[in-house]
Amino acid sequence: MARMKFICDTERCIECNGCVTACKNDNEVPWGVNRRRVVTVNDGIVGKEKSISVACMHCSDAPCMAVCPVDCFYRTDEGVVLHDKDICIGCGYCSFACPFGAPQFLSTGAFGVRSKMDKCTFCSGGPEANGSVAEFEKYGRNRLAEGKLPLCAEMCSTKALIGGDGDVISSIYAKRVSVRESNGRYPSKDIFGWSTAYGPSGSPAPTPTPANKIPGAKS
Amino acid sequence: MRFNLKTIGLCLAAGTMLVACSEPPEIAAKAAKRPDVAPYMGADNGFMTKGWKPGEQVSWTEAINKRNQGQTEYSRVK
Repeated sequence: MARMKFICDTERCIECNGCVTACKNDNEVPWGVNRRRVVTVNDGIVGKEKSISVACMHCSDAPCMAVCPVDCFYRTDEGVVLHDKDICIGCGYCSFACPFGAPQFLSTGAFGVRSKMDKCTFCSGGPEANGSVAEFEKYGRNRLAEGKLPLCAEMCSTKALIGGDGDVISSIYAKRVSVRESNGRYPSKDIFGWSTAYGPSGSPAPTPTPANKIPGAKS
Repeated sequence: MRFNLKTIGLCLAAGTMLVACSEPPEIAAKAAKRPDVAPYMGADNGFMTKGWKPGEQVSWTEAINKRNQGQTEYSRVK
């Protein structure tokens, strides 16, 4: 069973924002909402300036799921954390709970009224029929159902952002680290956000929400 | 007796107001979560990749893992 994860290699990210643009374009994300962002730390300090591409990490023990008062989140068998916009009330609790700042809200109304929450879906849509127009309008593309991986990762020019089955992408990253070590430069074994999102190594795999256990779901 | 009638009246009024706060079953059903369809079932939109059979999880997983290898240049550059 694939367990979908993201890795951002800070030694390779060049802050081109291609992932951000690709995500916005492919999913037709509205103006004012960025499902993915590039964050740069230690700006201008030679050797210490690092850029990180950040979006929903689809955590093993997702805090957004824990705090949602209307229980609109669910986890798929592939470990992707998704939500149902028909249930979301736009309260914003998930935004406060998320350590990565993934949940986004569109302020369209008066008095700071928030829209329904929008976040990265690992390009796997929502509860609507796979690849349907309704799914696209609410959640964007469902590339996983098309046999593809998230566009942000697939189009990354330096392959800094890798997305896919956790075992496969961690083996890709391990190979890089070993090559860097053999060259004696910047091994950078630590992966940004992994311990926060997926716990320490050896943590149990997350439990997907079974279809018959979803409140109100028709069996 | 008069006090009792007043109490009953207040209770009825409160009950009527509380009914207005309830949720009709058809609305509650709309707000219930719906089970999602697994990605290995495929998408009916003409953008499907070739090399795997929709509905077969093993086939989909193999195709995805194979595609994952496109993210490592070590497999392409010798």
